Amino acid sequence: MEARGGIGMIGVLITTHGNLGNELIRAAEAIKGPLKNVLHVPVDQTKSVEQINKEMSSAIKKLDQGQGVLIMTDLFGGTPSNISLSFLKEGKIEVVTGVNLPMMLKLSDIKEDMNLKEYASFISEYGKKNIYSASEILNKKLSG
Amino acid sequence: MPFDIALVRVDNRLVHGQILEAWIPYIEASCIIIADDNLAGDFFRETVIRMALPRDIDLFIHSIEDFAKTYRYQRDKGEKAIVLFCNIHDALRSYNLGFHFDSLNIGNVHSENCAVCCSPSVFLSDEDIQHLSSMTKDLGVRIDIRRVPKERSGDIREILKIRSS
Repeated sequence: MEARGGIGMIGVLITTHGNLGNELIRAAEAIKGPLKNVLHVPVDQTKSVEQINKEMSSAIKKLDQGQGVLIMTDLFGGTPSNISLSFLKEGKIEVVTGVNLPMMLKLSDIKEDMNLKEYASFISEYGKKNIYSASEILNKKLSG
Repeated sequence: MPFDIALVRVDNRLVHGQILEAWIPYIEASCIIIADDNLAGDFFRETVIRMALPRDIDLFIHSIEDFAKTYRYQRDKGEKAIVLFCNIHDALRSYNLGFHFDSLNIGNVHSENCAVCCSPSVFLSDEDIQHLSSMTKDLGVRIDIRRVPKERSGDIREILKIRSS
């Protein structure tokens, strides 16, 4: 958690269908301890696009300490992602889709000299790398 | 271009999870047509929608006027298409400009000054209710309130009845 105490850390906004994001945060915290500067905006069908926009915008304001904000969404093409993309701003706001628990666990492992763009690609690469089909690993181990 | 217009829908989220994961596979649509004045000419949003759609699905985006000039409502001929409007007003405008659909699906509507909430995702203003009422009574359009195909369709006549009594 070394990087978190620093001034001007990158903020992270999780926005998902329903409470998925909140549960991801809870699961990550259960494994790794409290996450700082992470907020969740749930999206459900009772909220209008304008309302979701407002909630995200105020969460971004709260999270931004000068180093920018990474928005993580669950599904590319879904409403949380579509609205997040309207906030995209180079150097200020990045969007990564397909959030999973491995990515959540990596959030606090930011290196000090990482800028927002590097952080976003670090997190998304890590998320992709941590998807396995178990039988493929087993076969590799057996044949290797 | 003749399309089989399999679904005409009002959805203020336009293309999102329910369209991608439920309606497109259910209808076996090969084309999405969006009629929306704000989206027409918005290159960034168009690119995002294109990226979200499966590669074999065509996307056409038009202003309301262009749309009504370009397409005719017809069934059972050509590729299956889904037509999306952002709000009920735009759907009625298209109807009045010549796109005479006989059924309108209401998915997500969140009007300001909500007068009636008729499903968790449908909040109608007085203006919406007037439009829907004139569509059903004067134009004979069937109104189908449903977010996803497998949901039971809500009965708009009941809602209009409650409103007028």
